[in-house]
Amino acid sequence: MARYGMVMDMRTCVGCQACMAACSAENQTPFWSDKFRTHVEDKEQGSFPDVRRVLLPRLCMHCENTPCLSACPTGATHMNDDGIVLVNSDRCIGCYACCIACPYDARYAYNGEDVKHGHELYGETVMHEVPHVDKCTFCVHRLADKLEPACASTCPTHSRIFGDLDDKSSEAHKLATSGKAHPLNEGLGTSPKVFYIPS
Amino acid sequence: MTFVHQEVWHWQIATYLFLGGLGGATFAISAVLHLFEGCDRKMLSVAVMSSIFFLVVGTIFLLADMLQPLKAIYALTNPRSWIFWGVVFINFYFIAAIAYVIPLLEEWPKLEPIIRKIPQLILGLLERYNNLAALGGSAAGFLVAIYTGLLISAAPAINFWNTPALPLLFVISGFSTGAAFLLLLSTFSKNEAAYKISAKLEQLDAVLIVTELIILGAYFNFAMFLPTGARASAEYLFQSPLFIGGFFVAGLLVPLAIETYSIFFGGHHHAEKKSSMPILVASSLVLFGGYLLRMYVLKAGMFQFPW
Repeated sequence: MARYGMVMDMRTCVGCQACMAACSAENQTPFWSDKFRTHVEDKEQGSFPDVRRVLLPRLCMHCENTPCLSACPTGATHMNDDGIVLVNSDRCIGCYACCIACPYDARYAYNGEDVKHGHELYGETVMHEVPHVDKCTFCVHRLADKLEPACASTCPTHSRIFGDLDDKSSEAHKLATSGKAHPLNEGLGTSPKVFYIPS
Repeated sequence: MTFVHQEVWHWQIATYLFLGGLGGATFAISAVLHLFEGCDRKMLSVAVMSSIFFLVVGTIFLLADMLQPLKAIYALTNPRSWIFWGVVFINFYFIAAIAYVIPLLEEWPKLEPIIRKIPQLILGLLERYNNLAALGGSAAGFLVAIYTGLLISAAPAINFWNTPALPLLFVISGFSTGAAFLLLLSTFSKNEAAYKISAKLEQLDAVLIVTELIILGAYFNFAMFLPTGARASAEYLFQSPLFIGGFFVAGLLVPLAIETYSIFFGGHHHAEKKSSMPILVASSLVLFGGYLLRMYVLKAGMFQFPW
């Protein structure tokens, strides 16, 4: 079994937000409510005159020790054999315990209004048919077709490197174990599968 | 590092947390009074019926806040989740409370036709095991009250919630609101026994408020010590006039002062001379403060994000 993960190369991210657009188009996330599965944080660091701009792309970290999975009372949040954390929308009651438990702001409510709007917009091809809490799936449906997640395949600067972290020949594995890349909030013990190479 | 106010749980959940603590503690204290002090069965029946009502209303607020309340039964799937245990505790509570209160309802002649519809065998068993239901109920009430704190402390990135002090604070505050509600009820009974219970409840509430103050001191000391989201939350609360004035002063210090005065100078042995006004004021303030505490703890919850 694979153990999928992603390496974010912050040195090359230009903040074009093509990843957000690609994800939204691929997964029908409710952009009309300003809700996305992936974001690019545009931060200022330091104080004048020693300041710089930092762009930090983020999404679900698909943690090995998942606080959201522990918090979910219904089992809607689960991890598949490839280590991808998923939400079964038919099982989700929308109690938001997972949103409170997630240390990475990776979840949002796909509420009744969003579902209604989605139906109007996408008609028969609508993907989200019931209200639920939504999050990144690493585009699990694309992986089945041997395709990369939409954000990674769209990124024009190759800032998102996706792959099997257990496959020693993969670029993702090499970067994740290079010593240059680190997960966010390591101290929480969540063991994220998304790593960052600082700019 | 960014501190962001949580925008997930609002006043509906604060109401649920408040009513859960109040309902759980009201039943637990009533059951303990029944077991160890002996208490007016009429007052106990009103207290337990009210506590069931609080829990029912609280549960409605919780369900109303969900995206899919009709699927709530699925919440009994994952025992690693505190919500799973909350559902277990609340159901255990409802079973114990209903089993306990049915024999007590015989005190109300108007309810007799309804009670008579229950088979005599069941009624006999409920009467026989009334003390056991009280014992189970005190445990269930305690578990429901402490669960409200455990639920929100399971948030690794909200430092202000993710502390052992929070369940303690919520359970003590819950029991204080429970004692305050029972004090309010006791003012409607005009016999000597009710005044004795009222005196006990006043002492209990005063001790609970002092304990709450100690926990609050430890809690804020912890929160202010490190430059984390907990400090940002504590600073937010210090700058909230309704938290300081409404919860801390009006909801804790004023009732403590009234109750302390009443305990030492109130003259409980002269029932006919004692005014119930201070009890009414102190109890109402404790209940008001208890609600504000939960409301503001939720409002003050801040995610500490690494970006």
